[in-house]
Amino acid sequence: MVITPVHYIVVPLLAAFAIPLLTKIYKDAARLIPGIVLFYNIIVSFNLLKYVNEHGIISETIAGWQAPWGINLVITPFTGFLASMVSVLGFIIWLYGYRFKRTLKGGLVKYYEILQMMMIAGSIGVIITGDLFNMFVFIEIVGISAYSLTAFYRGRDGAEASFKYLLIGSFASTFLLLGILIIYTQTGTLNMAQIAERMHEVPQHMKIIALIFFLISLGIEAEMFPLNGWAPDAYSQAPSPTSATFAAVVSIAGVYALIRVLFTLFDVPVNNYLMIMGFVTMLVAEIAAISQKDLKRMLAYSSIGQVGLVLIAFGIGSKLAVFGALFLMLNHAVIKSLLFMTGSYFIYNTDNKKLKSLNGIHKRLPLVSFFFSLGALAIVGFPPFAGFWSKFYILIAAGDARHVYLIVGVLGVTIIELTYYLRIVGRIYFAKEEEEPASHKPSINAIIAMSALALFILVIGVYPDLIMQPLNQAADALLNKTHYINQILSLN
Amino acid sequence: MLKKLFVFILLFTIGYFLVNSLKSIPLGANRVGSIDEPTTVSGYYLNKSPNALKVANSITAVVVNFRGFDTLGEVTVLFLAATGLASILYRKEDEEEEEKHTHSLSKRLNLPSSSLVRTGAKILFPLILLLGIYVFIHGHLTPGGGFQGGAIIATGFLLMLVSYKGFTTNHNVMVWLESLAGLGFVGVGLYGLFAYGSFLQNTGWTGNLNDLISGGFIPLIYIFIGIKVATELTNVLDTLLNIKPRKK
Repeated sequence: MVITPVHYIVVPLLAAFAIPLLTKIYKDAARLIPGIVLFYNIIVSFNLLKYVNEHGIISETIAGWQAPWGINLVITPFTGFLASMVSVLGFIIWLYGYRFKRTLKGGLVKYYEILQMMMIAGSIGVIITGDLFNMFVFIEIVGISAYSLTAFYRGRDGAEASFKYLLIGSFASTFLLLGILIIYTQTGTLNMAQIAERMHEVPQHMKIIALIFFLISLGIEAEMFPLNGWAPDAYSQAPSPTSATFAAVVSIAGVYALIRVLFTLFDVPVNNYLMIMGFVTMLVAEIAAISQKDLKRMLAYSSIGQVGLVLIAFGIGSKLAVFGALFLMLNHAVIKSLLFMTGSYFIYNTDNKKLKSLNGIHKRLPLVSFFFSLGALAIVGFPPFAGFWSKFYILIAAGDARHVYLIVGVLGVTIIELTYYLRIVGRIYFAKEEEEPASHKPSINAIIAMSALALFILVIGVYPDLIMQPLNQAADALLNKTHYINQILSLN
Repeated sequence: MLKKLFVFILLFTIGYFLVNSLKSIPLGANRVGSIDEPTTVSGYYLNKSPNALKVANSITAVVVNFRGFDTLGEVTVLFLAATGLASILYRKEDEEEEEKHTHSLSKRLNLPSSSLVRTGAKILFPLILLLGIYVFIHGHLTPGGGFQGGAIIATGFLLMLVSYKGFTTNHNVMVWLESLAGLGFVGVGLYGLFAYGSFLQNTGWTGNLNDLISGGFIPLIYIFIGIKVATELTNVLDTLLNIKPRKK
């Protein structure tokens, strides 16, 4: 059997439809099958990446209709890299949550696992599709799962966060649909390569209106300021594996969609807009993070800040900057998942989400505390860890492009970031312990998942050359628009 | 007050420019161009659906075949919405026991409906089911299709749920039907992948235009969609109607 990109979508779908039946036969099927499916997606990823390296871009047709007419799935080094990253992290998050969800009763496990799996599969769909409307459908799939998972712990706050997310998300969907509609009336096609080819024929005012619709809708998905009001609530109210998925998978897909539309579809220069909005996003989020008293909310604001830095880097737009942005996306996904995973054990052990109760927790949870501190130092960008390199390359790119004020700004915001992360690490290790509730030790699968992420941070930090090549190719593939258009429209 | 005025002026300005620009799109005008040598996807679809697919209803050809992958995605969206709703409204058995006792609102709702309503519902129910099944089986010939037919069937169940107190759907049958319909859709797609090399590719045998059995897999897929939509919407209605008011 030849592995093709459509396996990314079809296998999770088969599993999602079959899980309600299989749980009737074998009770643990609901928890095991998503793991198998997500592991299969990793195999698919590596096969496809290998094929792309040897033979160039893959464009798979669906329903037998050639690329501009039918829907196609595209694997370039860029989309292949992001899809592999999302698959691997999705599997690790499943591994982490495997026993975590054992506390849930009966039917709920089934619903949880289906929604969680489809959220990851939908994100992969957003990344690999080559068709604008198909991207909208996958964004819907991700959105619907995300709203339900946010309200999964059926408390008052969860319901509020979910409702807020639902309203803003529906707003985003409507605007996205309007943008797609305008593009379709002007170009008569939905294939992204063909739209890009025909974009110069579109009248300027139509282009601007469509662009505004896309910026608003995808800005909401990518958590860009001031459209990110849903994010802190959703991150902090969702179950912890879901929060990690939001940071590592959903936000990556959102940023991808924004960047794909801005870089490939439109020929309007938006670099300054991205830099300014990215910087404002980062600044506002980090300032908000420093005043949070709730651990998960703080991590959520920190995630938004990282996305802001990614947008700044894409805004600079040189090859080095895009390379740095992709590196940062990878680092953010890995490190933020680790922080949410460890943070979840802190919360589990202290029965509340407040930062105050972290005092001296390293005595009770030495390993988890170690991982959390590692993640905190890495995300700020301390030299021996992975986070250092991404920030380093982005700053070099900013310097090359003579954006001195950006360097100053990013470094200034990094100080804020450093302050609140070090404050927590200080609490964990040096503050006086107040009480000693019963301890929940992390289960073995969670330790494996967290160790894998921590190992990645250390190895990439010491030896970043390991992923230089795929990142370079990915940056090339994103920036070389003509090559993308020609390949898609001539391959079939 | 001033704030509201400001918002109003802002919205008006944005709306004015938006409408002005959208006015320049000649919506409704024939912009398909040559159907024989199409440059836009719409022209291509209008050309191919009667000639290559032998499907009289071009919209069905677009929905189920040309953009069948999107339709699979939309079916999944509906499935996830039903799953999410079930996960949020899920109640443990013991909680349900406690909530059996009366509440003024639920008591009023639980009064049996009049015999006029009940008899009418009983007569209409099979007819509604028949109409729904007709709509999705003839989806490739006449307007309508799986989504519409499924929604019609679900309204039939809604009628029964509203007029008969204690009317329940057989949960087991529903789960089986729903899962098998979904698996059937993906299965037809996989058959295309293995037999012809492209997911959801239609079979070469398409029959004659306007026959009930024509268009290859298209009617089959629409039947699966019809069953899936009907069971899912019925499940959603069942879940929503059986929420018990929260204890104070």
